[in-house]
Amino acid sequence: MLRIQNVSKTYPNGTQALKNVSFDVKDGEFLVVIGLSGSGKSTLLRCINRLIDPTEGQIFLDDVDITAAPPAKLRQIRRKIGMVFQQFNLVKRSSVMTNVLSGRLGYVNPWTSLIGLWSADEKKRAIEALGRVGIADKAGARADALSGGQQQRVGIARALMQEPNLILADEPVASLDPVLSHSILQYLEQLNKEGITVICSLHFLDLVHRYATRVVALKDGIKVFEGSAQEIDRARFKEIYGEEAQEVRAASV
Amino acid sequence: MKTSRLFRNALITTLVIAAFVVSYNVTDADFGKLFRNLPNGQKLITDFLTPDVVTRDVETRTVSIAFPVPCDSAPAEADLPDNGPRLVPSVNCANPLEKFTLEGFDLEPDSEVVIRWKLPDERTMTAIRTNTDAEGYFTFEVEARPIIASANGVASRLEVDTLTPVGKFKPSPTLKEVLDAMFVTIFMALLSTTIATFIAAPLSFLAASNITRRGLIGSAVYYLMRFIFNVLRAYDPLSMALLFAFWLTFGPFPGAMALTVVTIASLGKLFSEAVENIDPGPVEALQATGASPIHVVRYGVLPQVVPDFISYIVYHWDINVRISTIIGFVGGGGIGYLLNLYINDFKWNQAGTAIWAIVIVVWAMDFLSAEVRKRLT
Amino acid sequence: MTNAAATRPPVTRSGVASALMPGLGQILLGQKYRGGGILIGFLIMLGTVAWYKDPAWYFSPAVIWLWNIFDAVSLAGGKARSILLPLAAGLLAAYGIGWQVVGIDFGKADLDRAAAILRPMANPDFIQTRREKNEMWVNIQVPCSSEPPLARREDAGRVAMVIPDCGTVGETLIVSASGMWPDTDTEVLWRTPIGDPKMVGEGESQMLVARSDESGVVTTAVRVPTTALVAAPDPTLAQFHRVYFYQYRPLGGIELSYVGGEVVKGALATVSMALLATGLAMLFAIPLSFLAAHNLMSGNPLTYAVYVIVRTLFNILRSIESLIIAIVFVVIVGLGPFAGMLALAVHSVAALGKLYSEVIEGIDQGPIEALRASGANWLQTVRYAVIPQIVPPFTAFTIYRWDINVRSATIIGFVGGGGIGFLLVELIRVNNMRGVSAAFIAIAVVVIVLDYFSAKLRERLV
Repeated sequence: MLRIQNVSKTYPNGTQALKNVSFDVKDGEFLVVIGLSGSGKSTLLRCINRLIDPTEGQIFLDDVDITAAPPAKLRQIRRKIGMVFQQFNLVKRSSVMTNVLSGRLGYVNPWTSLIGLWSADEKKRAIEALGRVGIADKAGARADALSGGQQQRVGIARALMQEPNLILADEPVASLDPVLSHSILQYLEQLNKEGITVICSLHFLDLVHRYATRVVALKDGIKVFEGSAQEIDRARFKEIYGEEAQEVRAASV
Repeated sequence: MKTSRLFRNALITTLVIAAFVVSYNVTDADFGKLFRNLPNGQKLITDFLTPDVVTRDVETRTVSIAFPVPCDSAPAEADLPDNGPRLVPSVNCANPLEKFTLEGFDLEPDSEVVIRWKLPDERTMTAIRTNTDAEGYFTFEVEARPIIASANGVASRLEVDTLTPVGKFKPSPTLKEVLDAMFVTIFMALLSTTIATFIAAPLSFLAASNITRRGLIGSAVYYLMRFIFNVLRAYDPLSMALLFAFWLTFGPFPGAMALTVVTIASLGKLFSEAVENIDPGPVEALQATGASPIHVVRYGVLPQVVPDFISYIVYHWDINVRISTIIGFVGGGGIGYLLNLYINDFKWNQAGTAIWAIVIVVWAMDFLSAEVRKRLT
Repeated sequence: MTNAAATRPPVTRSGVASALMPGLGQILLGQKYRGGGILIGFLIMLGTVAWYKDPAWYFSPAVIWLWNIFDAVSLAGGKARSILLPLAAGLLAAYGIGWQVVGIDFGKADLDRAAAILRPMANPDFIQTRREKNEMWVNIQVPCSSEPPLARREDAGRVAMVIPDCGTVGETLIVSASGMWPDTDTEVLWRTPIGDPKMVGEGESQMLVARSDESGVVTTAVRVPTTALVAAPDPTLAQFHRVYFYQYRPLGGIELSYVGGEVVKGALATVSMALLATGLAMLFAIPLSFLAAHNLMSGNPLTYAVYVIVRTLFNILRSIESLIIAIVFVVIVGLGPFAGMLALAVHSVAALGKLYSEVIEGIDQGPIEALRASGANWLQTVRYAVIPQIVPPFTAFTIYRWDINVRSATIIGFVGGGGIGFLLVELIRVNNMRGVSAAFIAIAVVVIVLDYFSAKLRERLV
């Protein structure tokens, strides 16, 4: 469903974050992107929904060129792509409900939503989304009153409101306790089984083994590996993470 | 390394001392004069400390005697009574500039006494004020006024009013005036802060680097807004009020306008800093959902900045009340205008009332705004 | 049924309670803050409307009162009502009354007048091209005496004369000057015996300008101004008036204009006043701030009393703007920057004293404990644990205060406190908008520059 062709990104300060990266993502995959910090994982994910504009190359979603879409078209594309962030990116002073509802902004009437009015239908949908991640009872709480794991679940519920075909998860568990990592990734896995394609960047290799159907590895903005998780042996690991790296395991549940 | 640092410190110290010496000369500082002239301020400060707050009804009783100036220009008082409220001068007539003693007996005790000349044509002159003792007695040395005070054989009269306070204490007219002016002052601050908020809030987004500074036009708008805010902020609202009062004539309206202009700049700057300090994460998340830019601001930026905005607004209302208390000095209306009137008329007690009202209101606003802001954060 | 029976009495009770005293019903139901807020809001609105004496606005406290009964009743039923309605009623009345009290009337904003004020301001009177002046004058007797002296004067190779030698008001005279600069515009001005300048051009409201010929001779006709004798003690007494000739030529380069020079002096006085006031205030505020620090003074009743007195004094003085304090000092030491400086200093002592004392209250006890534990004596503890903690914030606050004082010093002249404010009031009084503009620009430059440097300095300290 997603075709990434020769994508490069050079930031205005000269940093080359992506160099000529190409790969395809098929429907229903759980694709994991790995690599060191600064290897270009976040840039790659943000190029897909064009939060960052790639300098070169093209990205096609179901044969539509995302990189060439004008602003209105781009917003239509974006609303079908959910995104989950490392820092959750919730509005901390708003309620959980408002945060989840805001995932729906690409769909609803722009005027009523501007003054904060939401239809009963949208509210029901938001409660359902919160129910799917198991925190329907927190709908009225302020976002910053929740624990980190709960906040990330709100982030997933917000993405669900978009009725996405594709979820981009940028280090969704890097700011969480290792014990909580599995619970978050299990929600993503569940969504994946329900038919949503997931592209997720991760740090810990054991999590990669557990969840990925396919892996793409980046090093200094260059794609150095593409294949199944099982194919990553010690040599490949050193190639991706460098000579001094030691495999650290996240605590398993 | 060490010597250069020593040298630098010595240089800075010298410069600071030089700056103070220059300042001392420029400001004509003369502390000797301050201490020599301190008594000049004594009356002023005692009057400030005894504000005119309450008053009582006053009963006025008048006794008078004929007193020819100069002697023989008219008949003197024929015979003075020797009981009841009465006036007894040491001489029964006098030439201009002569001094004599005037005594009063059996007047109202513990009352204020006003001594004055009443000319034959009903005009009155120069009141001297003194007080009677517990027996209703007073004595005062009076100077015969250097005028020809008799006309057509009728002598001028010496009149003495005794003013006795009667009845209950009640708020003085000054207090009412001050309260009225205080209301105007508070409303000036309220309205100018509100109008300024409505103008500053949208403008502040234009002056926030993370929102506006994109592309050539964006950068130009950003720097222009920053420049305008910085220049307007440099003025004390009173300087601005001087111009507005010159344009719109005196009254609370130009005062409120001047306050509004400076508050727009001040709030605009604070607001734009609040907008610049937001967490960019939620903005990114909302962009990723396909929300339009205006929705990104509504759901991603506004909720983050509103508490800061409210805190700044309350803070500025507090500041603006403080400033509106003096904006009347340059024609801005409110309590400052009243205070200026009192001061120009040397009514220090009344001025004291206004100053105490200012102290109380400013203090209360300071306390309230601090409490509200504490709650918000 | 039992449920309804149980709730009915509180419904009636709270409704009646709130009708008698707004908020009481809510308080009885345990909602202290809600009830208190309603009561205070109601009283403020009632007070405001009663003060304004316009019965129409009584709708606002009435709406709040009715809503409060409704809220108390439904609160007893377990459901709180939105405060939107009473809030709207309160705000509507507050802003409506405020609008009328302040007399906001944008119809008064006469744009033509604004343009007339702003146009000269676009051309600030700060600098002028440097020029050289050639001045010549001659005496002329008005009105004529029996033997008027010759109206002719020679000076440095120049000769000025009037024909005839004397005149009466309204009479036309021929004035001429030779030996002046050739081919130069020459201003001709009349001065009365007390030095009052009178213009003798068109309608006596314009400067008469004549041009000298190539040999440096200026000749023109002048009517003795109708107002020439206005200030004369006796209009029949012959007195000497003067006819002046002024020539100017550019010297190249620019110089400060007169007003410009005054503006620079005023700006310097303003900055100096602020500097001296801040320095002086610091000297007094440092010792006083220790007396106003809660953690140092709450030990026994005596020191606590001192603390309360100093704090109260600070609060009172802080509430009185330095402009008002300046009035007192103008009475004591007279008009001028010294009075303004003293006022700023007094206000700053209170403001700085409060800030300093908060710094002292907030110092970290850790280092003090650590030094005590290592056996340091009291003096050593103060030197190594207290002073390093308070010096940077004290300095930062002092610089910040200087910054504020510069801003206040620009206006303290409005009541005679000297500095640029004094100049500004004078310039506005004589309607010299070009000068006002120069003063405004100078204020902005001084304040922004000092603001920038004080921010930089404070950044380094913190």
